[in-house]
Amino acid sequence: MKDDLLFIAERLVQYGRACGADEIEVGIGDGTEFSVDVRLGEIENLIEAGSRSLGLRIIKDKKTAFAASSDLAEETLRHLIRNAVRRAELANKDEFSGLPVLSRRTIDPATLAIFDPEVGRLESKTKIALALETERIALADKRITNSHGASFVTNEGTSVLASSNGFLGECQKTYCSLGVGLQAGETDDLVEDFWFSSQTHFKDLEAPEKIARTAVERTVRQLKPRKIKTQRVPVVFEPQMTAGLLGFLFSCAAGTAIYQKASFLVDKLGQRIGNDRITVIDDGLLPGKLGSGPFDSEGVPSRRTVVVRNGILKNYLCNTYAARKLKLKSTGNADGNGVSPNNFYLEAGPHSPAEIIRSCEKGLLLIRTLGHGLNSVTGDISRGAFGLWIEKGEIAYPVSEITISGNLGRILKTVEMVGNDLEFRGSICGPTIKVAEMMVAGE
Amino acid sequence: MNETATFPAIPFEDHFRLSLGDFQRILGIAQSSGGSFAELFLEYRAYNFIVMEEDIIKETAESISLGLGIRVVAGEKTGYGYTNDLSFEKIKKAALSAAAITSSPTTVRVVDLGQIRPVHNYYRAREIPHSAPLGKKIGLVKEAYLACQKSDPAVKKVKAAFQDQIQYVTIANSDGLLVSDARPLLKLSCVAIAQKGRRREYGFSGGGGRVGLEYFVSALTPAEIGKAAAQEALSLLEAKDAPAGEMPVVLSPGNAGVLIHEAVGHLLEADFNRKKTSVFWDKFGSRVASPLVTIYDDPTIPAFRGSYNIDDEGTPPRKTLLIEKGVIKGLLQDRLSAGLMNMPLTGHGRRQDFTDIPIPRMANTYIEKGEYDPQEIVKSVKKGFYADRFQGGQVEDSGKFTFSVSSGFLIENGKLTVPVKQATLIGSNVDILNKIEMVGHDLMFGLQTGTCSKEGQDVPVTDGCPTLKISKMTVGGLR
Repeated sequence: MKDDLLFIAERLVQYGRACGADEIEVGIGDGTEFSVDVRLGEIENLIEAGSRSLGLRIIKDKKTAFAASSDLAEETLRHLIRNAVRRAELANKDEFSGLPVLSRRTIDPATLAIFDPEVGRLESKTKIALALETERIALADKRITNSHGASFVTNEGTSVLASSNGFLGECQKTYCSLGVGLQAGETDDLVEDFWFSSQTHFKDLEAPEKIARTAVERTVRQLKPRKIKTQRVPVVFEPQMTAGLLGFLFSCAAGTAIYQKASFLVDKLGQRIGNDRITVIDDGLLPGKLGSGPFDSEGVPSRRTVVVRNGILKNYLCNTYAARKLKLKSTGNADGNGVSPNNFYLEAGPHSPAEIIRSCEKGLLLIRTLGHGLNSVTGDISRGAFGLWIEKGEIAYPVSEITISGNLGRILKTVEMVGNDLEFRGSICGPTIKVAEMMVAGE
Repeated sequence: MNETATFPAIPFEDHFRLSLGDFQRILGIAQSSGGSFAELFLEYRAYNFIVMEEDIIKETAESISLGLGIRVVAGEKTGYGYTNDLSFEKIKKAALSAAAITSSPTTVRVVDLGQIRPVHNYYRAREIPHSAPLGKKIGLVKEAYLACQKSDPAVKKVKAAFQDQIQYVTIANSDGLLVSDARPLLKLSCVAIAQKGRRREYGFSGGGGRVGLEYFVSALTPAEIGKAAAQEALSLLEAKDAPAGEMPVVLSPGNAGVLIHEAVGHLLEADFNRKKTSVFWDKFGSRVASPLVTIYDDPTIPAFRGSYNIDDEGTPPRKTLLIEKGVIKGLLQDRLSAGLMNMPLTGHGRRQDFTDIPIPRMANTYIEKGEYDPQEIVKSVKKGFYADRFQGGQVEDSGKFTFSVSSGFLIENGKLTVPVKQATLIGSNVDILNKIEMVGHDLMFGLQTGTCSKEGQDVPVTDGCPTLKISKMTVGGLR
């Protein structure tokens, strides 16, 4: 099966060259998906399916064309390649275009431990039972009034990549996740939240009991919220919220945003962008982690990149194209014609989350945000927020219908405490942090 | 163009290499374990993309998506399988995956499929972009790019992108329905970054819809799109930080339709009400908004991005009254929820592609025009916030929603004064709907570029509204 994919990819590379492409790269993904949603004790949706997709890039006379297809019929693919060569001719010459130079470094996917054979062996009834069990435990809590349902999802995928620069690679990866979403309160005073666990290995998933209890706790702690006056206060970000902030930082540190001048981090390499508590890493080589992989979508081997060290911006995250534009090296973050994170995280600090909350005479513990108000050109942030109000170092009451606003540049310079609770729950993650002051708008 | 002009039969045999007999056999397999309903959804989509930045046509892309999804429904349960390998063996496997949702073996009955055609054609594409020469499309991108760049020397960076697609769908189900649609979709958008000193700001504009290339001559020219993007970035260079706190808010016509989309539309999607997770579930027929508020969702507006001749379950869509003078009158339905709730279909069952189960979705949602003169509305505010351009929003079932304002103005003594940037508005829907104090007579729709996400599925939508005044709302700015 896998050899079959490599064979198809290699043959298409040869065909592309024969059609006049100077360079060509062909990637094929083959995946199977299982997903079950249960709600109020019954199965709601059950999906089982497999699919393949192909993406390719052609360069001719320094002109680029992309194509993609989920129809893998030979005649369709050959037609797409011929079209792509023709389209490349109509584009403009771009001296920075082209495939990466083949790296001598290769990474054995086995050392990354991102494929778990047990995921494929799980029986449907086991997976359904896990989802049912998680929801059942959550609903047993009388404070929970309705359920958005629980889901168990698994994916198994093989991806192969063949390039005219001689690269040939394949990688198998698994993913599984279990989660539940809940509501508490009466219809006109509803609060809601969810919790989930996702991993490459089935054995690393949190147990249904833990997921259910966490989801319940996260939901009911928001009951009977108050509104607060508009004011500037310290804001403590829970790990999931820090992860959101880091996602925004990633989009600003992406080489593609830098050369397009669409980021507030333009021309900041080597400069201080945060205080010395801020160290941010992108690492594609962490064993077993969701963001790990042997090579990126251009076949550049994965690596560990220090993005920010003790507040100093050290690297932008680049694909080959952005790297050439910026006179830098690819960091192995290519994804299609853009960039994406591997495991992108803020390094943990010395403080326990409890200690961080205790340090606030008055402040907001940020637990959820709503909306999209992020501007990478300026670093401005403005979002709807839900939180717990902190008074004299203790959680006092929940607050809602507030917004928080600030600027990522200023936030990075005013982080006062970094937590010791970093967990790799996704490909972007961070610990609890405390920001000295943000604008919280309420009444 | 005649609305019912001959609508060509869709040659599904060509795209999918499957015959009517195959459809019957597959539906038979899907129902082999029982279930009350089985359905095939076949999709072939061809997509083109052109991007210009740094003064060159940097890349072009072409993509083809082909596949089939099979659904089996039993009560509230749905089994689903899909494949992009249309060999009979793989299709059979997908059908059996879907059938696994039930286990009450029955004798397979052969469905009589009667092919019908959509009655109306809401698409307005004379010059089908998919088959137009690439050079012509490149010309449109260049026109937008250059118009944006030449607007002002402060415009430092421009990116213009053109996208077109044609989506062929064929739907066959166990009720005997067999229907096809061919949906064109076009979008030209432009992003500008303007710089003054160390300050950089971003502007966006775009247009398109279910239209052909002639749209860029007759309705909206690429140059107009480019200039509008530049204008937004340039005006933000002069903008101050937005205020923070509770104050009266006036929403500009058109763009602010996103508020209706978030605050009302999502929570009147039938699935959330059937499951009683929406704050509206027990308020059907009750007053939830100021009597000035009447809201529709209409998938039949010609040429609009959110329109379609049939939904993704094959149902012809209807203009649907959601709220009339403040009272909830309707829900956006798909087959599953309409059946379980014993309510009529409205034609709002949509899906992103063949890998997805259809769910109730919005199409073109808007608040009906009122009586007030827009200037009179602004004049009525002593001190407040005028929200002009938007980036999008989000809502949760409890009714808490936000939307992001990219630019606006302070209102002081009934006049727009200082331009301001970047603020989030947050509220609780029933509360805010009751605080709508004035509705203008200037109904407009926002840009034909919007996409709505729900449960991981993206579909094209539009929304619209006249100038609105909300008596008090929390504005989250920096000041």
